[in-house]
Amino acid sequence: MSGQQQLPPGWIAQWDQNHGRYLFIDTATNHSQWEPPVHGAPMNPDSRPQTVSPGPGHGPAPTQSKRRQYAADQTQAYYGGADMAPVGPPSYMDQPIHGGGGAGSGGLFTPGLTAEAGGQPPYYAPDTPSWQNGGQSPGPAYAQPPYVGGGGPHGQPQMGALADQFSQMGMSQHGAMGQKPFGLHTTNLIGVPIDPRELLRPPPEIRLPPGACLSQNPLANADPSYMRSTINAVPTTSSLLNKSKISFGLVLTPHRSIKDGDEPVPVVTDTVIARCRRCRAYINPYVQFIDGGNRWKCCLCSMSNEVPQLFDWDQQRNQPADRWSRLELNHSAVDFVAPTEYMVRPPQPPVYVFLLDISHAAVSSGMVATATRTILESLDRLPNADNRTKVAIIAFDVALHFFSIPPGGTEASMLVVSDLDDVFLPKPTDLLINLSETRAGLEALLTKMGDMFQESHTVGSAMGPALQAGFKLCASVGAKIIVLSASLPTLGAGALKNREDNKVLGTAKESALLQAASSFYKLSAIDCVRDHISVDMFLFSPSYTDVATLNHLPHYTAGGTYFYPAFNATRSEDAIKFAHEFGEVLASPIGLEAVIRVRPSRGMRMSQYHGNVFTRSTDLLALPAVPVDQSYAIEVQIEENLNTPFVVFQCALLHTTCDGERRIRVITLALPTTNNISELYSSVDQIALITLLANKAVERSMSHKMEDAREALTNKLTDILGTYKNTMTSAGSGASAALSICDNMKMFPLLCLGLLKHVGLRQSAQIPPDLRAYAQALLGTLPSQLLIPYIHPTFYSLHNMPPECGTIGEGGVILPPPQPLTSERLERHGLFLIEDGQTIFLWVGREAVPQLMVDVFDLPSYDQLRGGKMTLPILDNPFSERVNAIIAKVREMRRGPYRPCLYVVKEDGEPPLRLWALSSLIQDRADQLPSYTQYLTQLKDKVNGSSYS
Amino acid sequence: MTGAGWLFLFAVIAAAGLLFTMVFFIIMFSDLECDYINPIDLCNKLNTFVLPEALFHAFLTLLFLLSGQWIALFINAPLVAFNLQKIQSNSHMYDATEIFRTLSQHKKESFIKLGFYLLCFFYYLYRMILALISESE
Ligand SMILES: [Zn+2]
Repeated sequence: MSGQQQLPPGWIAQWDQNHGRYLFIDTATNHSQWEPPVHGAPMNPDSRPQTVSPGPGHGPAPTQSKRRQYAADQTQAYYGGADMAPVGPPSYMDQPIHGGGGAGSGGLFTPGLTAEAGGQPPYYAPDTPSWQNGGQSPGPAYAQPPYVGGGGPHGQPQMGALADQFSQMGMSQHGAMGQKPFGLHTTNLIGVPIDPRELLRPPPEIRLPPGACLSQNPLANADPSYMRSTINAVPTTSSLLNKSKISFGLVLTPHRSIKDGDEPVPVVTDTVIARCRRCRAYINPYVQFIDGGNRWKCCLCSMSNEVPQLFDWDQQRNQPADRWSRLELNHSAVDFVAPTEYMVRPPQPPVYVFLLDISHAAVSSGMVATATRTILESLDRLPNADNRTKVAIIAFDVALHFFSIPPGGTEASMLVVSDLDDVFLPKPTDLLINLSETRAGLEALLTKMGDMFQESHTVGSAMGPALQAGFKLCASVGAKIIVLSASLPTLGAGALKNREDNKVLGTAKESALLQAASSFYKLSAIDCVRDHISVDMFLFSPSYTDVATLNHLPHYTAGGTYFYPAFNATRSEDAIKFAHEFGEVLASPIGLEAVIRVRPSRGMRMSQYHGNVFTRSTDLLALPAVPVDQSYAIEVQIEENLNTPFVVFQCALLHTTCDGERRIRVITLALPTTNNISELYSSVDQIALITLLANKAVERSMSHKMEDAREALTNKLTDILGTYKNTMTSAGSGASAALSICDNMKMFPLLCLGLLKHVGLRQSAQIPPDLRAYAQALLGTLPSQLLIPYIHPTFYSLHNMPPECGTIGEGGVILPPPQPLTSERLERHGLFLIEDGQTIFLWVGREAVPQLMVDVFDLPSYDQLRGGKMTLPILDNPFSERVNAIIAKVREMRRGPYRPCLYVVKEDGEPPLRLWALSSLIQDRADQLPSYTQYLTQLKDKVNGSSYS
Repeated sequence: MTGAGWLFLFAVIAAAGLLFTMVFFIIMFSDLECDYINPIDLCNKLNTFVLPEALFHAFLTLLFLLSGQWIALFINAPLVAFNLQKIQSNSHMYDATEIFRTLSQHKKESFIKLGFYLLCFFYYLYRMILALISESE
């Protein structure tokens, strides 16, 4: 490494944690400055300061003699080689997509109607051949979305397989020749049946100009599961963006889990980190090598920087290296191992502090026993690669109970502190225990704890003081604090009152219930962020527990809230769900003491951040711990006209891994620019757009009124539809019987309706504030993959599913084709499954045949069946096995720790459960809420009734 | 010097003080935008000035009321009401978690207050000189 050249002699650089950048200090004069010091010679581009002694590659002479020469024409030739059509990103869900033939055959699908025969119908139809063609393979049919090539200007995507093939050929030809405009397909929404598989389509292809990317690796642009934009072709001016009415933003899940079959993020281990010296962007596949390959031009700010010599020299083997094979030039997502300059202190060990409620409510519900058992069972799964992990347990009811175990000890001693006004730690040491050293003692304690408080009859919860004790305990280290509480905090700081008031539900005053009742949680959050403490809340309430207020702590400290209403561990379903989710959270490889910075190309600015983060500066997010699979939405503003053919967004997540390594995860997303509104529309990613709007709606419902949030959403949709009609259709500003939108946005109105009807936002006087607040917390944190089913549940018809469904195919268990969300599809003799990623409903029709009842429930008849939460028996018959396989698949196919509970819903069963299940069918009318058809008519009237220009 | 003279001399000094507070606020906000200060420190710093500023302004207005300076009272009453309303709704303090969302609002408010204090400053100065002239005559 050519380290010492990079700073003038006498200068050192110090990473400033508060500002997330370097402070440059002249050791001679003690003068410090933010800007890198400049001296006579041109600055090394990699101004990442180095104080370590240079490696073997330091001698500039041999390196240069061995350095590959990049003559301008050679470089050019190389770029020419990159002319290949950019490869579309992989499909957005890693579940198999059923149904072949692209969207062409999609329009024709009418499942469920086949078994409409008279008499006693068969409960599962073995023959629905239309679904068998290639249904197993994940996604190839959708890899060729119908919005490319072919089709007339207003053509509905009904081209046949042949036309599809032609357009495919056409695309590859065009691709080879260069950038090709997006084909815009206008669809009429009115009267067109919904095909839920549309939601599984990948986002519109990102078509970069040829030569934009150095690499031909399909992973050179960001996978949508890491980073996706609401628009895949960025308008060059803000006036064009404003005209289109589309919200521009990014949806970011930088710390995404790696499931089976996912490509792991490659790690650059040689600590050669090339960064732009002006904007501090990391080198990526979209930079340009200039000056014979000696310098690189930053793709964000056009700054010319020097290429580190080690790009062409392998330090380990002492021989020339091929820079084109460097990971950061071939992958959009890379992890850099950060050298010591990226640390202000040694990497923090993982610290877990459990605050356990042991009041009567907690003990009697079985929460304490289940929680301690889960912790005990998860001790091996807790990240502890280097034996530094520390654990502490504080139990609280009306007093605080500390547990102290000396290193190597096997007996825990309990210390009770009942002074809640001035919380102190009863002992300076041994409260925060090293997991490896004191494993035996901890195991003994956890085994005992379930019974220890069995006789507790205390009522009252000192959660606030317990939190304060937790903060004190780990303020110097940083930690993950996990609160498990079954009652409303009533004692000491942060005490809350039961403010649930059924009279205000459904009125304008309801949003007050979603705001914090006490400033304690918000103010603590600020201290937590400073001390690198992240808080998770696991809430179990037999009654009101004020999720809205308590969620503030996870919200600002990058934690998560998990809510188990009416938890009762004697019901095995409850215990399993909680134990599974808690276990997953404990086992997840969280990142510690993290900051996220998102850098856009020049001319754009990040304006608003949404999600569980603390905004520490206009472009810096602080996260005491980065949970796995949490999503952040960022609004982007175009400030100046963009005059480059493509723009780049780069997200850098600096964090400490659980293994004690400081790392930087860099994710780069390159998008083409456009000055054409039709191209802009045809590149809209409806999934990302609804994710951003869901975040905004949640925030608005808290800061304003629920009604405002809903109205803003519908107005946004109306604006988009109106502008689209005026600019893109022949109807212009006149009245039209059709409601048009581009093909890639045709699910968007339904998704908006789903959001309006969601528990988090729905107009209703029946939704308890806790459920509402929890739903909103989820809407604000779930990544798109989980959010979409959450607002648009998946609906399967099981009794007549094709025979291969529920068996193992190429992509795991084959799921039945999803149905449109309307109760018209519910048949009286049928068995249906509705799931939103958090709950699974198994709907049983009242005329279900006895054979079905025997096969699935092992019961003689429908009348014997009882609705409610249950575990489906695994019976020795093929149908039961298939149904169980589908349920298991639904539970594990998505990211995130959630394990949905299964509810059996009888068609004539108890009304609340029935109505709850039916509320998932969002295309239906419910109470005052319109059906999808009605909603479209309302929208059409609004669009026709107002003029958009 | 008469009572009115002394009163407006005090008011001029007070307005100058308030003026500087606002300038300080505005500088701090732009520091925040430039990332020279983090939101937690900023809010801690500014919040120490919020209540004193409101109280001081209210005290000045009270002096006008007691001395029967109706025009000056009339000018200042709306701001007192505004401050009071903010304190009542508990939204007078700067919130570090929300500061970036509300920054433009805060800046606008500070600029308006700055302009207001500036106008007041000149008005008090004018009244003070008027009082001195009438006294010397
Ligand atoms: Zn740059």
